[in-house]
Amino acid sequence: MNERHEQEKKQFLKLLAQEGVDELDKRFQILESFLKSENHETCREIQATLEQNGVFLGPGFIAETMELLCRFGFAQKLKIDDGPPRYEHRHLGLHHDHMVCIKCGAILEFRDEALERQQVNLAAAYGFHMLQHKMEIYGICADCLEKSTLPVPLSRTKQGEFLVIKEFEGGKNAQMRLTSMGLRIGDTIEVVSTQHGGQLVVAHGESRFVIGQGLAQKVMVERSAHRYPPLPAGEAVGHPGGHPGVADTILLSQMRQGQQGVVTRVSGETRLRRRILEMGINRGATVYVEKYAPLKDPIELIVKGYHVSMRVEEAAHISVEGVKTVKNP
Amino acid sequence: MKQLTIALAGNPNSGKTTIFNNLTGARQKVGNWPGVTVEKKEGIVKHNGVELKFVDLPGTYSLTPFSLEEIVARDFILNEKPDVVVNIIDAANLERSLYLAMQIMELDRPVVFALNMADLAKSKGFSINGAKLASLLDLPVIFTVGNRVKGMDLLVEAAVKEAGTSSKGKAGRKVTYHRDIEALIREIETAMDRAGLDLDNWPGRWTAIKLLENDEVVKKNLGAMAPDAAKGAANEVLAVAERARFKIEEQFQDDPEIVLTDERYGFIAGIVRSVVTVTARKRADISRSIDRVLTNRFLGFPIFIFFIWAMFQMTFSFGAYPMEWIDTGVGLFSSVLKALLPSGLLKDLMLDGIVAGIGSVIVFLPNILILFFCIALFEDTGYMARTAFLMDRIMHTVGLHGKSFIPMLMGFGCSVPAIMATKALENRKDRILTILITPFMSCSAKLPVYIVLAGSFFAQKAGTVIFGLYLMGVVIAILSGRLFRSTLLKGEDAPFVMELPPYRVPMLKSLMIHMWDRSKMFLQKMGGVILVGSIIIWALSTFPRDRVVMAEYSQYLDQVATQRSEIVAQPGAENQEDLLKEVDFRLADLERQRDKALVERSFIGRLGHLIEPVFSPIGIDWRAGVALVTGLVAKEVVVSTMGVLYGVGDDQTDALDYALHASGMTALSALSMMVFVLLYVPCIATVTTIWREASAGWAWFSLFYTTSVAWCFSFLVYQGGKLLGFG
Repeated sequence: MNERHEQEKKQFLKLLAQEGVDELDKRFQILESFLKSENHETCREIQATLEQNGVFLGPGFIAETMELLCRFGFAQKLKIDDGPPRYEHRHLGLHHDHMVCIKCGAILEFRDEALERQQVNLAAAYGFHMLQHKMEIYGICADCLEKSTLPVPLSRTKQGEFLVIKEFEGGKNAQMRLTSMGLRIGDTIEVVSTQHGGQLVVAHGESRFVIGQGLAQKVMVERSAHRYPPLPAGEAVGHPGGHPGVADTILLSQMRQGQQGVVTRVSGETRLRRRILEMGINRGATVYVEKYAPLKDPIELIVKGYHVSMRVEEAAHISVEGVKTVKNP
Repeated sequence: MKQLTIALAGNPNSGKTTIFNNLTGARQKVGNWPGVTVEKKEGIVKHNGVELKFVDLPGTYSLTPFSLEEIVARDFILNEKPDVVVNIIDAANLERSLYLAMQIMELDRPVVFALNMADLAKSKGFSINGAKLASLLDLPVIFTVGNRVKGMDLLVEAAVKEAGTSSKGKAGRKVTYHRDIEALIREIETAMDRAGLDLDNWPGRWTAIKLLENDEVVKKNLGAMAPDAAKGAANEVLAVAERARFKIEEQFQDDPEIVLTDERYGFIAGIVRSVVTVTARKRADISRSIDRVLTNRFLGFPIFIFFIWAMFQMTFSFGAYPMEWIDTGVGLFSSVLKALLPSGLLKDLMLDGIVAGIGSVIVFLPNILILFFCIALFEDTGYMARTAFLMDRIMHTVGLHGKSFIPMLMGFGCSVPAIMATKALENRKDRILTILITPFMSCSAKLPVYIVLAGSFFAQKAGTVIFGLYLMGVVIAILSGRLFRSTLLKGEDAPFVMELPPYRVPMLKSLMIHMWDRSKMFLQKMGGVILVGSIIIWALSTFPRDRVVMAEYSQYLDQVATQRSEIVAQPGAENQEDLLKEVDFRLADLERQRDKALVERSFIGRLGHLIEPVFSPIGIDWRAGVALVTGLVAKEVVVSTMGVLYGVGDDQTDALDYALHASGMTALSALSMMVFVLLYVPCIATVTTIWREASAGWAWFSLFYTTSVAWCFSFLVYQGGKLLGFG
């Protein structure tokens, strides 16, 4: 690492001198300080660090320098949520992505070869020449997870969290109020926003609910299992070819052989809908596309452990989500 | 003696029929449910001094009033109130099967579960805790393996025992819906009580739930259930239900039916979770592997065509042996009769009417039996569903259903089993449509006619001509199908959503029962109809006997007979044999000439002359016309009638050839006749089958439609040909 840093410094001096940048030595100090820290720092943090070491430089100058560093490829700017921009080392040639903990703010770097490759493939599938990309995963880091397995009141949760309603700490009335909204124990809710004077807006499925602070304090929630069920190790394979992402809802008729999805909605005229439902294809059921007939129609599916066939035009009435390719249903 | 009625209900492919066969064996009676074309099977068995009447309800996935089968099943349980309902459940499909089960339980009769094919479930990697299921739902659960006849006794015991209990108090077995929905159900029940509706016929809670689901049948009957004074109250109840539906829609943002269905499935999922354990071991799913080949993108069709070819091959080549035996048998029988019976009208009636008529049809029995057997084989192994799966795309573009393919295909063998096979189609309209166009698939009885005519007039090209006829039949069938679909039988065709059951090794006993059931029906009904038809035809062609002709020919015959005795009397003449042969030949020839003359002057001959104007525009003379009329009994009879009318024996094909030419028939008129035979009204047996499977109205319609189509196309062929200079 230090070798690299030395390299960087040398290059920095050479390059900036070549470009005729002024105040080179002061900027060099910023670079040094920056390189020493492995964190993702804001301008303010860099300034603070410099001050600690007895170097006093103006924020404007630091910001300008950081921009220069970005321009010449020594640093990379990270704009995370609604905070000030952060900068990290940019070691050319080795791209990495980040995971951000929304509880404690920790930023983890990672690099996954398969993911990098997948992104290139995906772009290619769309006929797109990828130049660069940025990927940030938001969640809760391991440390924070350890700390919070007990149910907490809804009022203390953060925006973006997925929670399961565990208990009520309150009288019958509170319970009634919640139930009359359509929320029950066991329901998974997403915290949409928390900022408006203690009021929370939560989502359950596609419906939105406003919960006042008083009520929110009485609802005990637990972090839910992942929003998207974790893929069984080694079995999930990406599929090139123009498919929307995992979270989107598509029609069953758009699924390919070997794919699996979860039904969200069954539409269509009554008789067809009845028939589909009584065959076990209802909301929440997992369907797997076994094959298409030799003439491309009808489709054979595996649902609730048995095989069903239906025409493509009938399958178009079924919406599915969470579509992924699996080896075995 | 005490009598118990035990209803068997369950999903299609759950092995219900096998269990029914096990329980009733040969003692089953097959018929139709009153007023509908849905098959009903019953069987009475004595058990420990109690008479058990088993009723096999149609296999259904649910009890909504959308299909005839569901209505029949539901009505039986509601109205006939069987003492106990045995629900046959495919253990490998517990979750889906419970959907029907819960609906049955809501009907408040005692219920027993038979978890069938549990061995298959194990091999798929999961096992069911029967005891837990039994306690959760408060009913007996018996494990059975239908096709190995295991568990039958236990099942019967449990059923008889449960029949003695009351189910009204068993609350644990009903689906409990969402609190708000339960409240609405109670609201409706209260409204019904207030209205004073006579509910002891139907369970109150069930009725309320059905009203929430907007069940049309229940809504209609609600009005019927109310005493006249309370008709208005019934409407009040309907209004309450309507409001409740609206509330559900508002709260849950979806149709009440969907909401209730979701709730049921949620309830079921809970049960399944606590009762089913997935074992780690999972043997390879054989069925899936087989399908990888049989419905493979590349191999699927070739293999399918091979199976069809094999089916016809079996039917006609294996069938050929028994056909010959029967033919010989009938021949022997008639020679015996010939020798035994004194000459006279009775003899003629027996020989030429009854034996000849029935004989010509019975000869086809082996073919029909084998066809039925093949169909049973396809169905019991599960391959039948795959045929529909493969063919649906093509059938659908023609306006038909994938399941129509096999019945239509069978039509090439014989229309009777083909039409009976249309039972597989769930939707009545699809069924009738298929029934109407199946006769256009040229059945095997028409082939002798083609062979004679095409052979006589088209020589080398005969094969091509016959192929062309078959093709024409198919094309007209398709066109008729589209025509009907857009006029008489309008409407969306039934959903294709269909289960592909796992492959199974069929039980020989089941296959045999299957085959025998249908054949018995064929023999009984058709036998009767054909017998009557033959007698009528015989009568029409025998009477009146022209005395003058009789006397004339008697003279000739006597002369030749005298000659014969002279030759026999002459001792040791060298060419005695040849002379005898010659004389015998002349005797036979004279008899034929006499018969020909007689028939010409009989009723049927007169009828022939009468309808001649109808047939002349299509180039058919009165003799061929008469032959066509006799074809009503069976198409094979056309050839034998022609033989009689042209004065030619059965085995003298060349002579017939000559005679046909001599009568002025041309290649074009032969073609016209063949087209007519291809398309016109099918034999009386087929018409009777249509009557049974569709309705009398459709049978008549089929008769008129086919004959009109036949006439029109024959006209086109004949006149068109003449215009083009082929005449």
